[in-house]
Amino acid sequence: MPTALLGLAHYLPTDQQVGGVRRPIATDAVGPSDLALHAAPRALAQAGSQVSDLDLVMFSTMTPDVTFPGAACFFQHKLEGGTVAALDVRGQCAGFLMGLMIADSYLSAGIYRRILLAGGEVHSSGLDYSAAGLPIAELYGDGAAVAVLSMADGPGLESVVCHSDGRHHERFWIEYPSSRQHPLRITVENLRAGLQYPRIDREQVAAFAAEHLPAVVREAVDKAATTLDGIDAFILSHALPGVAARAAADLGLASSRVIDAGAAHGHLTAATLPVALSEALASGRLAAGARVCMATCGAGYAWGAAVLKL
Amino acid sequence: MRNARITGLGHYVPPLTVTNDDLTSRIDTTDDWIQQRTGIRERHYSEGRVGAADMGALAAREALERAGRRADEVDCIIFATLSPDYEMPSSACVLQDRLGIGGVPAFDVRNQCTGFLYSLATANAFIKSGRFERVLVVGGEVHSTGIDITTRGRDVAVIFGDGAAAALVEPTDDAQRGILTTHLHAEGKYAEKLWLECAASRSRPRLTEEMVAAEMPRVFPRMEGRYVFKHAVERCTQVVQEALDATGYTADDITLLVPHQANMRINQMVALGFSWPEDKVVNNIQRYGNTTAASIPLALYEAVEADRVHDGDLICLAGFGAGFTWGAILMRW
Repeated sequence: MPTALLGLAHYLPTDQQVGGVRRPIATDAVGPSDLALHAAPRALAQAGSQVSDLDLVMFSTMTPDVTFPGAACFFQHKLEGGTVAALDVRGQCAGFLMGLMIADSYLSAGIYRRILLAGGEVHSSGLDYSAAGLPIAELYGDGAAVAVLSMADGPGLESVVCHSDGRHHERFWIEYPSSRQHPLRITVENLRAGLQYPRIDREQVAAFAAEHLPAVVREAVDKAATTLDGIDAFILSHALPGVAARAAADLGLASSRVIDAGAAHGHLTAATLPVALSEALASGRLAAGARVCMATCGAGYAWGAAVLKL
Repeated sequence: MRNARITGLGHYVPPLTVTNDDLTSRIDTTDDWIQQRTGIRERHYSEGRVGAADMGALAAREALERAGRRADEVDCIIFATLSPDYEMPSSACVLQDRLGIGGVPAFDVRNQCTGFLYSLATANAFIKSGRFERVLVVGGEVHSTGIDITTRGRDVAVIFGDGAAAALVEPTDDAQRGILTTHLHAEGKYAEKLWLECAASRSRPRLTEEMVAAEMPRVFPRMEGRYVFKHAVERCTQVVQEALDATGYTADDITLLVPHQANMRINQMVALGFSWPEDKVVNNIQRYGNTTAASIPLALYEAVEADRVHDGDLICLAGFGAGFTWGAILMRW
């Protein structure tokens, strides 16, 4: 009996112009737990679940509502979740897949029966919208998706694999606040130097993904005991435009089988993959019975892939 | 189904010791006041550019050595912290760099004072489900760069210390041994009773000069101490009882309680509730202060070192903290 996706819904705030592109941008006082709250009732309804059925609420984000406690605690409260466990995970772009791996383990070990997994980000409050910062600000959007997971007879998760290689953590990072800086981890000087914004070594980050994104797709497909031909749709994600398409080409996939998850709304980090899957289901592009492979590669580096039969 | 057990523990605290008297040069407080309220006599502060992952890596190396394992045998890394080395990526990735290993999944758990409990429960799920064979669980904190060490911030500043500890978790086929049950809870209703607001993604922008440099900066933790204290005693007691009920043991069966070290008075009240003698509870807050995610493994490490833990003992880990979050894990050593 596999871990099944009983419900999935997403929420995107209203689009705004960011440089040359349109991106979903949250309004003031809205954090990722608020975005996820818009999606949660639909995901729970699809799953035929109540909040009181949940054993664990997980939140994957790199942009929590406040520094601590985590977004899962705020979300748990907004859901009126009583004293249900709330777990916050940081896995950057692979955060949703790592969340899926964790949830699958709790479920298959029989520790929990029903888990709500949210992936959500409010990037826009942490980006530099000056001319110098726009090339990076344009990459990102805000959004959230919520999945309800449980073991069930029938289709479900066929594989999930995650990897990290921290030896490259400075190639794609936000350096400050940094607890390593004495005497204070964030200073006015750090802010004036713009070190609270993401920085990316585009060439190196793209090169790493060019190698590892196709490889992890193959690994997840192998682990699911199927082949590339056995997959109906590939949802691929990378923060940099064009990288996902290049991975698809490298795998020899016809573009009709590929959803470039960042293309429509920009990079939503932990929310990118589940938002894209939720949109594909809502639009009818994917339907029950389809086998999907989702994969991403990003900061950390952290990367991964999952094969899911809907 | 196989069980998960801790096969090696390690620790690291930075060499700089800061006594209560040392703090009185920067804060209007006294050694007596701090000891009366919290039990703390001294804590350690990191120096230079030593971050949570740097300390975590030293703790991890010791845990691996004690388990007789090499770093490249680890197949998953979980890092619990609320004071990460960088805003992004995770300290788990930085730790991976410090250990010189690449490839295995590494992620952070951000669950404050119960970060180690949530992480160990997750490692237990990984082992029990058969997903991984050797999970490295690390708790590490550098608080000293994120607290307001002035009279303005004294209620919080005197409490926290820096440190790290690590546990290697591996399977055992002995169903009587290892982790027997895990219980985790949260109540986000009280998220702002003990919190660090900024950077806050819900503020636009999330970090400003005003947040950092105002009369009352918003980049330091704030706490409603009495409120937290009352809930901590109540919830810790409840969740230990929940773990006992789940396994059919009684309070008398427990050999040792290894609680989170937030305040010695909390742990004394919990012990009193179960009618436990003082030697049944591990307390080392006197020397380290509250090291959040590192406190439970650091206390467990010291209990093992002091020969207070023996094969077959029933050990209970429990904690309560920001979120609110709380939990208990019962294990047979």
